[in-house]
Amino acid sequence: MQRSHWIGAGFLASALVLTSCTSGPAGVDAKQNSKAPLELWTRTTPGGPGEKGTLKLAAAFQKATGFKVKVTAIFDDFETKLQQRAAQKNLPDIVMNDVTQLGAMHSQGLLREIDLDRIKSADQLIGQGLDSGKSVDGKQFGLPYSAQASALLIRKDWREKLKLEVPQSWDDFSAMASAFTTEDPDGDGKKNTFGLAAPLSTKRGYASWYFSNFLWAAGGDFITESGNGTYKPAMTTKASLEAVRWFRDLGCENKVIQPGAVTMETPPTNETFEAGRTGMFVVGPYLLPRFDETLGKDKYEVVPMPKGPKDATVLAEGASVYLMAGSENRAGQDAFADFAVSAEGQKIGMQGDTGFTVQLPVNKTVDISEVRPDPRWNTYAEAYRDSGRYAPSIPNWTPVRQTTAETVNALMADCDLDTEAKLGELDKQLADILKEQGIAAS
Amino acid sequence: MSLDQADPAAPAAAGPAAPKSGGQAGGGAAGRRRSNRRAGRWWTPWLFLAPALLLFLYFKFIPMANALTMSFQDVQPYLGSSWVGTENYSTVLHSEGFREAAWHTVVLAAGQTAGSMALGLALALLMEGQGRRLGFIRSAAFLPVVVPIAVVAELWRIMYHPTEDGMLNGILGLVGFGPSGFINDPDTSMASIMVTGIWRGAPYDMMIFLAGLTSVDRGLYEAAKVDGASRTQRVWHVTVPGLRSVFSILFILAAIRGLRVFTEVFLLTNGGPDGSTEVVMTLIYKLGLEQNRLGVGAAGAVLLFLATLILTIVVHLLRRRESK
Repeated sequence: MQRSHWIGAGFLASALVLTSCTSGPAGVDAKQNSKAPLELWTRTTPGGPGEKGTLKLAAAFQKATGFKVKVTAIFDDFETKLQQRAAQKNLPDIVMNDVTQLGAMHSQGLLREIDLDRIKSADQLIGQGLDSGKSVDGKQFGLPYSAQASALLIRKDWREKLKLEVPQSWDDFSAMASAFTTEDPDGDGKKNTFGLAAPLSTKRGYASWYFSNFLWAAGGDFITESGNGTYKPAMTTKASLEAVRWFRDLGCENKVIQPGAVTMETPPTNETFEAGRTGMFVVGPYLLPRFDETLGKDKYEVVPMPKGPKDATVLAEGASVYLMAGSENRAGQDAFADFAVSAEGQKIGMQGDTGFTVQLPVNKTVDISEVRPDPRWNTYAEAYRDSGRYAPSIPNWTPVRQTTAETVNALMADCDLDTEAKLGELDKQLADILKEQGIAAS
Repeated sequence: MSLDQADPAAPAAAGPAAPKSGGQAGGGAAGRRRSNRRAGRWWTPWLFLAPALLLFLYFKFIPMANALTMSFQDVQPYLGSSWVGTENYSTVLHSEGFREAAWHTVVLAAGQTAGSMALGLALALLMEGQGRRLGFIRSAAFLPVVVPIAVVAELWRIMYHPTEDGMLNGILGLVGFGPSGFINDPDTSMASIMVTGIWRGAPYDMMIFLAGLTSVDRGLYEAAKVDGASRTQRVWHVTVPGLRSVFSILFILAAIRGLRVFTEVFLLTNGGPDGSTEVVMTLIYKLGLEQNRLGVGAAGAVLLFLATLILTIVVHLLRRRESK
C-alpha cells in the first residue's frame, strides 16, 4: 500500500511539473501558403443573426477572391478563449471584435501590422474610423468594418401626450426626464415611470461607457493627451466635475433615472424601456430591430443627443478586423480586410433586418440611405460623422473604463459622497494605470 | 449444487489470507499467490481510480499548477510569459481593493454560514419525523438548492425591486417601513446578498441535519423528558451535542462555499454599488479576465486557495483535538 501511494504521488507530481513548464518563445514567422483556409473568429452569439451575417460576408468574400474562410462565432469569454489559443501559439487568422480591444491585443503581440498599401479600399475609409485602428504609436493594427454612435431614443407617445418638444439642450433634457417621471405620461394613474434608462452597473464598465456621452458633451474627459503619446488624468477638471454633478443630479436630486440602475447591466435596462417604465435611452443603433419588435416602431423616435455645455459629442464605437500574428496565409488576411471595408463588402454586411454585421458603413462611398431607407439610420450616421468620438488608443483601455465605471457607480449609488473628493481619488487611480502602461505624462 | 460446494478451498484459503500481516511464517509461496489472487495486484485500485484521476489531472490539477506558475509571471501567452518573482503577490496584497474584498468575503462567509446553519437546524427540527406530508414539505423546502443560481439571482433581483411596488418593499410597506434600496443601496447591499445566500444554503444544511438527527439516541430524549427538561433544554442539551460532528462538517462545507462566493454576487451586483459587495472572486474575475492581468488575478486566486486550505486544516485539527 505504501509503495503504491508513492508511485501514484510521483506520477501526479511529475505530470504537474511537466505540464506547468509551458512558456516558450513567441511563434516565429509561419511558412506561407495562400491556399490555407482562413480561420475567422467573430464576437457574436453562436447560431444568432450576427453569425449568419458573418457567414454571408465570408461566402461573398470566398466567391469574389477564392480564399476559403471558416467562421467561428463566440460570445461568452471571447478574450479568454483567444488567450488560450495564444498560449497554444495557434491563433485564428482573422478576428472581428470591438475597436477598444486593439490596445490589449496589440500589447500582447497578438496582432500583425496592417500594410495599408495592400488594402485597396483603405483610401475610401472615413478618417476617424481609420484612426480608431491605430495603436498608440500611430501604426495600423486594426481596420474598422462597422461603426456606431449614440443617439437619443424617446417615447414619442409620451412626449406628444405631455406636449413637449424634442430636447435641444441639457436643460430641455432634464425637464423632459422630470416630466416623464412626475406627470404620468402613460396615463395609468400610478407613479411608475421614469425619465431616463441607464445601465450603471460596473460590469464591463457600463457606467463609464454610458456616462462618456455626457462627459464629452460637457468638454470633460477621462484622460487627456499631453503630447508625445502621453496622457494625464482629467476627471477633476472643471468641465468633468460639472458633467459629473449634472449627471448625478439626475439620479440623486431629480430622481429621474430608473430605480436599481446602479446594479443594472444592459439587458434589464433595455427591458425598462421596452416595458414602458422609462421614456428616454441613450443608445447605439443595434437595439432598433429589437425595440421595433417589442415596443413598436411608432412608439418611439430616434433623435440626436441634445447639445451639452460644449457640444453634442457622443461615444463612437465599432468593430474592427484584426489580422492575427503567426498566420500562414497573410495574402488571404489582407484580401479579407480589404473586402470587409470595400463598398461591396460593406453593402453585404448591411443587408437584412437583423443579421447585419455592419451597423454604420465606414466606407465613404457607401450611402446608408440607399441600403437602409429608414431615416432613423441616417440620424445615427450623422451623429457618428459629426459628433462621434472614439475612446483614445492606449495600450489597455479596459482598466480606465473599469475604474471610471466604479467611481460613477459609487457616486450614483451613494448620494452622500463628496463628488470632488471621489473624483480626486479617481484621478490618482488613473495616474497609476497610465504609469503602469508607460504612457503617463511626467 | 451450491456455490460453497463448487469451490471447497475458498473458506479455507480465506482463513490465512484475511489478517493482512506481513510476517506469515507458514504461508509460503503458495499462500502468497493465493493471497495475491484475492487482494489483486498493488495497481488494481489505481486502475479503477485512473479514469477519475485522469479527469482530475486535466481539469483540476494541471490548471491549478498553471495558476500557481502564472501567479509568479507577467502572463503574455503569445509573446512568452516572464518571471516577476513575488511582484504579483505584492501588487495584490498592497491594493486596498483586495483588502476590502477580502474583508467583505469574510463577512459574507461568516454571515451566510451562521445564517444557513441556524435556519437549516430550525427547519430540520420542524420537519423531523415520519409523517407522509413531511416528505412533500421537505422537498418543497429543498427546492432553492436545486434551482440554478442564475435563476435564483434573477428571482431575488425582482423581489428586491427598490420601489414601493417591489415585492419585498410591498411587504415592508404593510408594516410601515419605507422602501429599501436592498441591493441598490451600499448600506443594505451586503445584507441583501447574505439573505439570498442563506435562503439558498439553509435547505442544504437542513437535509444534512435531518440525516444527523436520525442518529441521535431517542432514549436520551425520553430520559431528559422524565427528568423534567423543557423543549428548549432538550434541544440544547441533547440534540445539539448529538449533532456535533454534523456541525463541524457543515461548518467546513459552508465556510468553503462562503469564501468562494461568486455567482450570486456577480449576477446581483457585480461587486457594486460603490464596491460595497466586492468579494475576492469577483475581484479576481475582473483583474484576470476583464482587465487581462492574468498574473495578478492568479496571485489572488492562490491566496484565496491558501486561506481556504488553512481554514479547513484548522477546523480539522480542532475536531481531532475535541474527539480526543
